[in-house]
Amino acid sequence: MLLRIAYSKLETAKYIAHLDLTRVFERAMRRAKIPMAYSEGFNPHPKIAFGSALAVAVEGEREYVDVELRQDMDIREVLGRLQEQLPSGIRLLEGRVVQTGSKALMAVLNAASYLIRVPMALPIGPERLAEGMDAWLKREHIPFARYSKKGRTDKDIRPWVKRLTGSVEGDAVIVELEVEVGNSGSVRPEEVLASLRDLENLPFDLDALQIKRTGIYVHYEGQHYSPLDPDHKRGFRSEAR
Amino acid sequence: MSNTTTRIREQVERFLPKVLKPSRYLGAEWNSIHKDWDETDVHMVFAFPDVYEVGMSHLGTRILYHLVNSFPWFACERVFAPWVDMEEKMRARGIPLYALESFRPIRDFDVLGFTLQYEMSFSNILNMLDLAGIPLRTSERGQEDPWVIVGGPCAYNPEPLAPFIDFALLGESEEQLPEVLNLVAEQKKNPVSRREFLLKVAQVQGVYVPEFYQVDYQEDGRIAGIIAEPGVPKVVEKAIVKDLDAAFFPTNPIVPYMEIVHDRMMLEVMRGCSRGCRFCQAGMIYRPVRERSPETLLRQTEELVRSTGYEEISLTSLSSGDYSCIQPVVQEIIAKYSPERVGVSLPSLRIDSFDVKLAQEVQKVRKSGLTFAPEAGTQRLRDVINKGVTEENLMEATEAAFKAGWSSIKLYFMIGLPTETQEDLDGIAHLAKNVANLGNKLGRRNVNVTVSTSSFVPKSHTPFQWEPQERQASLEAKQKYLKEKLRDRRIKYNYHDASTSFLEAVFAKGDRRLADVLEHAFRAGCRFDGWSEHFRYDVWMESFRELGIDPSFYAHRALDYDDVLAWDHLESGVKKRFLMQEHFQALQEARTLDCRLTDCTGCGVCPDRGVQIDLKG
Repeated sequence: MLLRIAYSKLETAKYIAHLDLTRVFERAMRRAKIPMAYSEGFNPHPKIAFGSALAVAVEGEREYVDVELRQDMDIREVLGRLQEQLPSGIRLLEGRVVQTGSKALMAVLNAASYLIRVPMALPIGPERLAEGMDAWLKREHIPFARYSKKGRTDKDIRPWVKRLTGSVEGDAVIVELEVEVGNSGSVRPEEVLASLRDLENLPFDLDALQIKRTGIYVHYEGQHYSPLDPDHKRGFRSEAR
Repeated sequence: MSNTTTRIREQVERFLPKVLKPSRYLGAEWNSIHKDWDETDVHMVFAFPDVYEVGMSHLGTRILYHLVNSFPWFACERVFAPWVDMEEKMRARGIPLYALESFRPIRDFDVLGFTLQYEMSFSNILNMLDLAGIPLRTSERGQEDPWVIVGGPCAYNPEPLAPFIDFALLGESEEQLPEVLNLVAEQKKNPVSRREFLLKVAQVQGVYVPEFYQVDYQEDGRIAGIIAEPGVPKVVEKAIVKDLDAAFFPTNPIVPYMEIVHDRMMLEVMRGCSRGCRFCQAGMIYRPVRERSPETLLRQTEELVRSTGYEEISLTSLSSGDYSCIQPVVQEIIAKYSPERVGVSLPSLRIDSFDVKLAQEVQKVRKSGLTFAPEAGTQRLRDVINKGVTEENLMEATEAAFKAGWSSIKLYFMIGLPTETQEDLDGIAHLAKNVANLGNKLGRRNVNVTVSTSSFVPKSHTPFQWEPQERQASLEAKQKYLKEKLRDRRIKYNYHDASTSFLEAVFAKGDRRLADVLEHAFRAGCRFDGWSEHFRYDVWMESFRELGIDPSFYAHRALDYDDVLAWDHLESGVKKRFLMQEHFQALQEARTLDCRLTDCTGCGVCPDRGVQIDLKG
């Protein structure tokens, strides 16, 4: 039985690295005595698959994971037993059985929304903020330098950004951001903010960012669907056509 | 929660996303214990002077953490050495070293207990004291500072740390540590002077208070004598658990979020090893052999699986293949837990007790390489070190392994052992090639043999404590020779850095005069000396020069039987007479057999203490 679960990853759980999360779920399932299905082969591992990775220290309000069980079980019982064995900060929100062999979460999730709180190094008014953001959005191409072991690569980050708004709240700016997520990558929220700071001179203090991913979706024809929502499948059908 | 802890947490969380592996510094793992500060009488913080993933892999740390917390009136938290990036950020912001569970500053605790697993972590201890804002030397500390105590194998010669520690715990702490903490509780209620308190603590079995022992030196640098003050034992003898089967063992261990070095359940099947390898400190200080019963182990396994959810259980001890019930215990665990995909692993297998069926059983889940430790290249040298294995043992074991499908074999050796000759080095290459040839002959393709050599470090409390370490230049020449000799596409050769082994030897046999060097090196930036990327040999040597101390005096000098050893007032229960006798036997190339198999060898640990070898099979 393939179970798709929505959960939140908040507070100190935000520091659990994505690579460690599979083990956290596997061990919680074993403590909860929920029989997991395993891959075949030399080195079998439990069939647990997540949606798009959440960066360390970024909270997630609604994330998704697929877990395959060796036998059919009552969903409420699975969620209840599993919840008891999960670290505080990971809360199970909802679960639904999906057809075995359904497309992986990674393949269907293609949009994400973020809420970011960024302190200002210098105070600015809402007009100045809106001006800066508008100017940024009007740019057609926004190159951004990424550094890795292989050296520097410049990426155009503008195409990934679908929506960007901000408001001033005390000595911080609250940013709402929607981005596209795809096979060829995406843009990280801190990259958008760094670019806003550099190109539009917005005085963001990037050392003290607080980022929360408010959702991750199946985006289709201007609509956001949840991968738990059976309606989201319309998206695939039309894709298949 | 106090203001301080909230402030520390807030400050740390600001930069945590920017340090490597933030999970190291958070302490809210599954099964971690968070006690109410005001509801507990004694607050201890258990300190491991290395990074989190190393410290959390250490069974002793886990046992003592849960042991102390099993008493309702004690609270025990943890702290590890922050990695260099974290340290830099903490220092820049003036954040004191804090305990993982509560984020409380270390200096708020009553007891700060370091475990001494290896000499190369000593500089980290000073660094952690400094980060905690605790004066390094006991003479500079006040009443509000914690008691700084140490335990673990290097506590059998803690002399280089003497001015920095209030006392050391020798031996097994299951009974001793709670007794000490009860004295601390009493001291908090009805305080007496520091001296009076330490006198009381010194009465507990295995407690060593360095300041009660006066060390005098001769003009040539040797120790003239060690004199105990009245009222404390002349020789401190380790504490020991008589009934291991009934001893405390935590079955609800912490499950870290990040991957640690030994990321699995640990089941301690026995304690001690009486094989009697003459270089091995653990084999001397953990005697006698005491086993746990299969019933106890199976009950503990069930509790461990349920409380951790781990996918692997390791049957640990100094030599688990020697555990008399190993076969039935492994089979039963596999039968019961393989449906849940829980596998069994054995950390080390001896060549002479190697059982390929057992190895296959435990490899059902993961198929990794097999490791054997012949330790020396010829039978003569293996007899000198009393490593009772033969070339035939090795060939039989590897043949069985190749036939069963393994193609990767790791072989561990030591170079620079007492009496080593050219022939012994050639013997290493000879064994490695024979193993590789055997693999080919048995039709294994991709045979690969990894040879690792470490350099012999004479350790206190062993028959080789009187032996010098070989000079670095000579060790390096041997490494180079072996590198040439092992040029073969099927063989890979690794060796340990000789300068690290040299410093290890200096501190393993060091005395109190090294404390100044340690402090100097720490102030000059030394830390994480066990990590090659941070080891600064030149800074260490500069510190020795600066203080006019010759490290070679400690590492390279052959000691006389009538020399006063820096650790003569500390005893593991194994008598010095026995160690001398064993040293003599070594030079005669004569074996001493395991007392489990033949007669008592007279090491001295069993009589008088009401302990004995305890086998369950």
